Amino acid sequence: MRKNDSIIAQLDWPLFITYMLMLIFGIATVYSVAFNPEHPNIFDFDEKYGKQILWLCVSLFLGLLVFLIDSDIYRKFAFPIYLFVLSLLVLVLFMPPINGARAWIGVGTMGIQPAEFGKIAVSLLLAKYISELSVKQQTIGNVVGAAMILLVPMVLILLQPDAGSFVVFTSFLFVMYREGLTFDPIILAIINSFPGVKMKYTWVGSHFIPILFVAVFLSIITLLLSSVEVDFFFLPSKVSGATGVIVTLILFAIVALLFIRQFGTKRDRSRGTLIIVLGLILGGGLSFGVGAGFSSLAPHQKVRIELFLGLKEDPNGEDYNRNRAMAAVGSGGLTGKGYNKASVSSVESNHVPESETDFIFCPFAEEWGFLGTIVLIFMYMFMLIRIIIIAERQRAAFNRIYAYCVAMILFYHFAINIGMNIGFAPVIGIPLPFFSYGGSSMMSFSMMMFILLKLDSQRKDVLR
Amino acid sequence: MNFDARKYVIMAFILLVGGIYTIRLFYMQVVDDTWTLRAQEIAEKRKEITPPRGVIFDRNGKKIVSNRTYYNLMMVEDKIKKLDTVAFAKLLGWTREEVRNRFYEIRKGEGKYYNKHSGKTTSNYQKIRAYPFIKELTLEEISTIAPHLENFPGFYEEVTSMRNYPFSNGANILGYLSEATREEIDEDRFYKPGNNIGRSGIERFYEKELRGIKGIKYVVTSALNNAIEPYADGKYDTTARQADPLRLGMDMLIQAYGEQLMQNKKGCIVAIEPSTGEILAMISAPSFDPNLLVGKRNISLNYPKLAIDKNMPLYPRPLQAEYPPGSIFKLVQSLIGLQEGVINENSGFPCDKSVVGCHNHAMATNIQAAVQYSCNPYYYAVMRRVIQQNKKKNMFADAELGLNKWYDYMLSFGLGKSLEADVSGQRSGVIPNAAYYDKWYGHHRWAFSTIRSISIGQGEVKLTPLQMANIAAIIANKGWFYTPHFVKSIGRKGPLPQYKVKNYTKVQSKHFPPIIEGMRRVVNEAGGTARMARIDSLIVCGKTGTVQNPHGKDHSVFIAFAPIHNPKIAIAVFVENSGFGGTWAAPIASLMIEKYLRRKIKDKEKEKRIIEAKLSNIEASPNENQNQGD
Repeated sequence: MRKNDSIIAQLDWPLFITYMLMLIFGIATVYSVAFNPEHPNIFDFDEKYGKQILWLCVSLFLGLLVFLIDSDIYRKFAFPIYLFVLSLLVLVLFMPPINGARAWIGVGTMGIQPAEFGKIAVSLLLAKYISELSVKQQTIGNVVGAAMILLVPMVLILLQPDAGSFVVFTSFLFVMYREGLTFDPIILAIINSFPGVKMKYTWVGSHFIPILFVAVFLSIITLLLSSVEVDFFFLPSKVSGATGVIVTLILFAIVALLFIRQFGTKRDRSRGTLIIVLGLILGGGLSFGVGAGFSSLAPHQKVRIELFLGLKEDPNGEDYNRNRAMAAVGSGGLTGKGYNKASVSSVESNHVPESETDFIFCPFAEEWGFLGTIVLIFMYMFMLIRIIIIAERQRAAFNRIYAYCVAMILFYHFAINIGMNIGFAPVIGIPLPFFSYGGSSMMSFSMMMFILLKLDSQRKDVLR
Repeated sequence: MNFDARKYVIMAFILLVGGIYTIRLFYMQVVDDTWTLRAQEIAEKRKEITPPRGVIFDRNGKKIVSNRTYYNLMMVEDKIKKLDTVAFAKLLGWTREEVRNRFYEIRKGEGKYYNKHSGKTTSNYQKIRAYPFIKELTLEEISTIAPHLENFPGFYEEVTSMRNYPFSNGANILGYLSEATREEIDEDRFYKPGNNIGRSGIERFYEKELRGIKGIKYVVTSALNNAIEPYADGKYDTTARQADPLRLGMDMLIQAYGEQLMQNKKGCIVAIEPSTGEILAMISAPSFDPNLLVGKRNISLNYPKLAIDKNMPLYPRPLQAEYPPGSIFKLVQSLIGLQEGVINENSGFPCDKSVVGCHNHAMATNIQAAVQYSCNPYYYAVMRRVIQQNKKKNMFADAELGLNKWYDYMLSFGLGKSLEADVSGQRSGVIPNAAYYDKWYGHHRWAFSTIRSISIGQGEVKLTPLQMANIAAIIANKGWFYTPHFVKSIGRKGPLPQYKVKNYTKVQSKHFPPIIEGMRRVVNEAGGTARMARIDSLIVCGKTGTVQNPHGKDHSVFIAFAPIHNPKIAIAVFVENSGFGGTWAAPIASLMIEKYLRRKIKDKEKEKRIIEAKLSNIEASPNENQNQGD
């Protein structure tokens, strides 16, 4: 009894409640979207909502198991678990392809996707590897070692091929960044190989990963907006998409400068101003360069990029999904059309394919409007920040790193999935965690969450 | 080194993305209404109502193309409850298997949507949508089915309209309708799957004028796509509007008469009113009953049979057949010779049979006689003077100059280019110019002697029957023409603007009277080649032609206009493989003229001889065509 009490006392309830709320929202949305009047019962296991509830029960059961097992096992068995998942990732390549990719082991509805569990395995091994490094972390060997843990499963996933999971695996780079395993030593080695150059530290090298991601994010948004015109109420006429991105950057910079002026210390002010101005120049230059570079491409090259980004006006192609998804989201308005009243994205009307899985944000946004979407975004923000707070309060490096892995994976899924619903990300099908219909994703995200909760609940036991 | 501060970078990242997404969602959902409009478009809450197509009248106000109401038996799978297939099949007069196959066929016909990204394939078919279970039922057919439909929820009848042709004439000129193809639907948003589009002839050319304006009804739909109520009390609804009727210059009486005359023959008749350019009749023989190609059921039944018929009834000969014109071409040659000043009215040339064969006749001592006798050597001589005007020392360069000048004359007669009449599928014929022969023989490798056969309308020269009739109209008008056209008026408006423009040829009107006199003699004087085209107390002017045909019997051709003063009709008749022009084409033309001007035929013997004649190698139809639903 005492132990139970302690679990209840030690459990991070805000995170657990957010998790449960999301699952309930998710099942409610699946029920609305996939509603079949012939099987109106939400517990009907022939329908997707019934199945999703079944998966929820399985996930909660797995969560219970996780809580019963000693948390030390994850650190101890991180490497065997990793090897086991790797072997599954190899095995899956010999499976018959389903829907064009060899991503599934098993048959029909009972199949599992090893890539989903790969995320947990890599999280655990990365946490173990980095936590066990000696104090002197910034060596080429250490960076390469950590990178290899990611690269091997990434290559196997690319062979399936599963672009979505592949991209998600790059989220671990942020974890490496947090732990100081940046690419600085490699970049330094390259720079210092030039005769006469002797540097000890580069700012760009240390913050290489966030800078890279900002650059990629900006470029993709610029490209996605390249064909549209944006209307700013304070500008006399409509401007091109790339210009719109630059205008937005300037707006952000002004707000940030005002913020720093108001709240920053003197030292922060000068440094912050420098960073913001430099960032604005670099970011603006990048957007301008990408925009100009894209418009100077030959038509056939443009088409290839547009096809990749899902921009090409092809009614049966990628843009079909994106365009319809955006129509569904945008038509929600402020308060939405009401529960069970999604006219564009319901499965019955079939206008948005995959509206119960990858595009589940569509019916949610259509039914609940901006008020619903802002709640959803707030829930995610809360969950992600909460996980980072949890991470930072851990005494063991293993726990912290693992928590960061969970946060970054969820962040990636959130950013890309919502992004493709609002035209900010190319359509690479990855689920919205805890919302999208699907057993593998629900189980793997739940496991991830429960391992985190378990590790956190025992954080005070771990005294090393 | 301490990396703890980096947690703020990561948190900032997360919050930044959250912030940007919130702003974006606010913009998309609250500020910008583009996506709301797009969603309305996608959800297809618009219900379109297609009006019946515009009707077509002939010049005397006879309705020649109208619409008939048909019924589609519609089906919504989602609303079907416990279908008793046995009873249903019995009602339709089908077998159970046929009913079951039809369900399968509809589903298959909708095609599949392949999601490239997930690799999943889903059917376009939707249980909640209405699909035609049986299309194009007649009133009789639906009246046996409709009363019992209440026993079969999910099925209902829908009114639709299809073409109906009270006269079974002019099929390949009027054209037909068929379902719009995928490409046509993508190109023009007017069309939806199952909608008809003009496929050939006048129906195709005047598609936009005939299709009318669709009505739109907005309905609010639920998640299940069921219509709940009219949107905003029907404030934005529009009613469907039928297109204004077209009135043709065609006279259905002589169109039908011409088809009767041409029965069991291959060839065509084109009649034009010279003063307006309106086409009075355009017969393509053999033809077919236009009712055979009405509706999907008839088309799928009859089109393949018509397409493989060796007599090519689907081929619109007056527009697409390109024939050497033969001797009728000499009229144009005479006019060019006169205009160029290389001959005058009184020029005579000996009938030198050593140059080219000719029949026995008195020597043509003037241009009238040359037309009357259709003297081949005479026209060789004229053409030589036109082509070789000795303006350049080099004989070849001189021929090049002369031929291109001649070519420009031809273009001004509407030859060597499409006439741009208001019907789809016209060909341009062939008039060679210097570039044309350069390609064949090489630059400066040819002169008059190389190309002389074109002077009598043989060789490379080719005309469509429409162009031949237009020559008759030009001569009747003494030098100008309106582009031949079918449609006299669209609703209350006149014809299309391009048919109100007079086109002048490069030959002045003063050169025409001697040619017309020659044409009068052809029909009305002894020694003329078309005495069979004579009509009592009506002066017909004409010119015969006999076109050498390397593949068989010569073609018989005749162009004419009448009466000589203030001409009312210009006509071209072309009868394939029938021999001498005066024997067949000329009497047919005269019967057409008499029928049009007098409305009755005096010489019954002549009429009987033509109607009963079975010329050409008309093949027996493989099997009788059936017309369903009529």
